[in-house]
Amino acid sequence: MKILKVEGISKTFGNYKAVNNISFEVEEGKIFGLLGPNGAGKTTTIRMITNIIYPDKGKIEILGKSTGPDIQNSIAYLPEERGLYKKLKVLDQLIYFARLKEVPKDIAISRAKEWLSKLGAAGWENKKIEELSKGMQQKVQFIATILHEPPVLILDEPFSGFDPINTELLKSIIIDMKNAGKTIILSTHVMSQVEQLCDDLVLINKGNVVLSGAVRTIKSSYGSNTVIMEFDGDSNFLNELPGIKINDITTHRVEFRVDNHELTSNHILKTAMNNNVTIFKFEKVEPSLHEIFIEVVGNENKKEIKDAV
Amino acid sequence: MRSKGSKIFTIIQHEYISKVKSKGFILSTILAPLAIVAIYGTVIAVTLMSSGETTKKIAIRDLTGQIGIELVSRDTSKFFITEKSEEELRQEVLSSELDGFMIIDDKFLETGYGNVYTSGGGGLGFISSIEQNTEDIIVNKKLKEIGAENSIIDLVNRGVSITTKKVTLEGSREDYSQMLAFLGYFLGFLIYGLMFTYGSFVMRGVIEEKANRIVEVIASSARPFEIMFGKVVGIGAVGLTQVLFWLILLMILFFAGGTIAQMFMENSQNMKMMADTANQPNNAEILHFFENFSISPWIIVAFLFYFLAGYFIYSSLFAAVGSAVDQEQDASQLTMPVALPIIIPIIFIPNVMNNPDGTISTVLSLIPFFSPILMVSRIAAGDVPLWQILLSIVLLAGTFVLCLWFAAKIYRVGILMYGKKPTFKDIIKWFNLD
Repeated sequence: MKILKVEGISKTFGNYKAVNNISFEVEEGKIFGLLGPNGAGKTTTIRMITNIIYPDKGKIEILGKSTGPDIQNSIAYLPEERGLYKKLKVLDQLIYFARLKEVPKDIAISRAKEWLSKLGAAGWENKKIEELSKGMQQKVQFIATILHEPPVLILDEPFSGFDPINTELLKSIIIDMKNAGKTIILSTHVMSQVEQLCDDLVLINKGNVVLSGAVRTIKSSYGSNTVIMEFDGDSNFLNELPGIKINDITTHRVEFRVDNHELTSNHILKTAMNNNVTIFKFEKVEPSLHEIFIEVVGNENKKEIKDAV
Repeated sequence: MRSKGSKIFTIIQHEYISKVKSKGFILSTILAPLAIVAIYGTVIAVTLMSSGETTKKIAIRDLTGQIGIELVSRDTSKFFITEKSEEELRQEVLSSELDGFMIIDDKFLETGYGNVYTSGGGGLGFISSIEQNTEDIIVNKKLKEIGAENSIIDLVNRGVSITTKKVTLEGSREDYSQMLAFLGYFLGFLIYGLMFTYGSFVMRGVIEEKANRIVEVIASSARPFEIMFGKVVGIGAVGLTQVLFWLILLMILFFAGGTIAQMFMENSQNMKMMADTANQPNNAEILHFFENFSISPWIIVAFLFYFLAGYFIYSSLFAAVGSAVDQEQDASQLTMPVALPIIIPIIFIPNVMNNPDGTISTVLSLIPFFSPILMVSRIAAGDVPLWQILLSIVLLAGTFVLCLWFAAKIYRVGILMYGKKPTFKDIIKWFNLD
């Protein structure tokens, strides 16, 4: 079942067209990646889905109903820019946000305590937000977002501000939620997270959809002309070979794309050996989403992307 | 899916409870009356002390041989007779041995012109006390010269005193016009202070939610109008709580004041006799005041109504200003047009209190932006025709709806706008945005 249908929505602010005729559908129980460079129109799209602003044109349907104030209780939204009342105590904060989604107070309290201990934050109930570290605040913010247990969650950069351990904890929570049947819309610039978590994705650039579909399908459609090579020695020989485009290079590992069909793996390996480079690993793979993102969004946005990724 | 009004109620409750529980609120509720008592107490104490001050020593060189003696007999601590020459007295003043001297020439009884020389200034109180005393002496002397009866001299000394009585259905009763005018001033200023204080609470709350990026989270749960209106109502309820607390405190004090005055009366009959002769309100008068001076409940009702009406109008405008800026420092320029109509009636209060029923007072007090302050002052100071009150209520209600609508439109756009400090032009653009 399609739990979210976005049909041809547009939004213009003054002379600036933020979103231009965007359509996509989200399957229930999946993790859906909403991707795009900065300023692509992701936040505007999310705000229209969450009914914070209204589209000029087009239609948004959630759970078979048009989006509107009545649908807000069915959505959880974690904005990229986090915000909590600095002077308020953690538990009061959680109760307030849950009650705004019409969760009764006693249920809100028991759920809040449950989640606090789940995220290793038991005993924080009476601490003021301003007494917490940034990472701790992020945890409280996440709990505040999901306390009403809605079927649809929209998470904008949910891992920012978390250390690797908490990032893994949050990832497993997101996967648990998916397994429990929730639909999650994930907006992030970190493509490795999309590869790990998302089933489907839509890529937006300058207010338009430029790529959409299942992550697997998208990747295989880009073929397996990408090579990951681990080596010891001077990698400069790669520059002498025509039709090689290096995506990522470090001292002992390089990822490159072979655009020249006549350039075989054998030829590359031979050249390596002639240059006294020892090869530990040579693997032909599908391109990473990172690479696809950069290719699709195109050269005109390149500088912007470097800032973003 | 969503029960009507439950979100707005949640917001109201949150705003109310988090504010009422705050230290700031509890302290200001208790300290504000103490501060007022302290300020008035200090003013009264300073007045009493300065009127009894005898720091100035004035030498009197009297060429008439009549006035100086009487002047000295009125205040021996201040005046004394001297035979020294003017030049000698000047030297004494210059060398600070003397604060000043007065030369009463032989024609003083006829002309009434005299000179006082001091080391500088002396203050209005000092000059008028010398004028008052010498005038009394001259008038008494002249009256005696022409053979006026003692009763006439008494009358002249005592002066004319008029007590105003108010005609009522039951006959007539004491009229406390002056007290009521004072009350009018006081209530007008109180509403002014309350509207400013609570209006800026709303503004700061809106800015806090915007600056800390809370508003986007809330906006995904409730309509912008619910967020804004819930905040306005919640903080308004805080204001009402504070005012009601003060009102109850005042009633207790007033009741206690009457009882204490009565106790004094019973305990000291002598004092009453003493007080009768003094030229100041005596115990009987004070007791009488507490027995008869009652603030009409309608003044209280009017005060509460106009306070809330004014608060609602201005706080929604303050909310709009708050939504337009990213931080409090940026708000001052945009606050101006909202603050100005609160300040203007304060400038007019003295005129309105002088003539509460005049045309200018009536017109000014009917202007919705002014009526929270001026109408309350007028109602406190005198009788305002019912039609005027009703008209002002209708005008206020209409203005409130307009302001709320206007503010809500700006608020919706403003809370999501970050970056450049908006100009009035930008805000008008937002207004037409959706």
